[in-house]
Amino acid sequence: MGFRAVLPIISGIIPFGAVMGSAFGEAKLSFWQAMLMNTSVYAGAAQLATVELMTQNAAVFVVIATGLIINLRFLLYSAAMSPMVHDSSPLIKFLCAFSLTDQSYATMSANHDKFSTNKEGVSFYLGTAACMMMTWHASVIAGYVFGNFAPASWSLDYAVPLSFVALLIPTLKNKKYVAVAVFSAIMSLLLYQLPLRMGLMVTALLAIGFAWLIVRRKK
Amino acid sequence: MINGNYFLLNVFLMVVGTLTIRGSFIAVSGKMKISDKTRELFTYIPAAILPAFIVPATFFHQGQIAEVFGKERFLILVLTGIVFYFVRSTLLIIGLGLGLLYLVTQF
Repeated sequence: MGFRAVLPIISGIIPFGAVMGSAFGEAKLSFWQAMLMNTSVYAGAAQLATVELMTQNAAVFVVIATGLIINLRFLLYSAAMSPMVHDSSPLIKFLCAFSLTDQSYATMSANHDKFSTNKEGVSFYLGTAACMMMTWHASVIAGYVFGNFAPASWSLDYAVPLSFVALLIPTLKNKKYVAVAVFSAIMSLLLYQLPLRMGLMVTALLAIGFAWLIVRRKK
Repeated sequence: MINGNYFLLNVFLMVVGTLTIRGSFIAVSGKMKISDKTRELFTYIPAAILPAFIVPATFFHQGQIAEVFGKERFLILVLTGIVFYFVRSTLLIIGLGLGLLYLVTQF
């Protein structure tokens, strides 16, 4: 049931996976290096960012901090899922944690009312996760294999920022979110020249600090 | 070219860190509560980070078209952003953006 429920939204995953595969190829990583990272980290946006930083030989601290800041949103999903998995086995808990993605969580959350037991909810969630994982890996492999053959004139590197636009716009729920995004955009331009690619990290921290001010001021 | 050991170290740390983040609350399964404000703050994370990738990749890329001051990527970014707002198709905006960029830079 979960597998079928997530099918309508996977069309957005295929180009994103292809961009990821293409980025692996652009970074001159071997197929097995790409698959190692893709299967073990399994976090598209963070992978794109960290691969880009690694190609520029950024400091390990910068690479990891950037990737983990991007993945911080999984904390929220993890917290929201914890009541549903509290009576599951350690293996099921591990699988739920490892396969946590925006799409799987959102699909599970949207169907939450349909579950009469936690077990039913977990089964549904694992179905969405299986569909997501298969689609993601297939599209990354396709991107790796075929992306390398694309001529430079196709500007495939620009597919990364474009795919981030697709991730960003749905999160801009109101003016406060837009204000944080604009703040981040301006700071990223001002701080771009910082050494060790620290501009990204500093921008992210300042923007999260700005968001914290907005959250604190709200009554 | 990415150094092999440097790559493996980064992947290993990303695996440990990401799994820790994903599994943190699942592992303690409801024994811990997070405040509403912290929960709300998490929802701002994409808005805080993603523009920091998009904007420099757009503005600091060397443009090729003199008529638009070498900033064709910015114009295409704005256009695809507007299209995505109404259509919500990742596939469409990537195709549209790359297609337009190709046309603008080649002809």
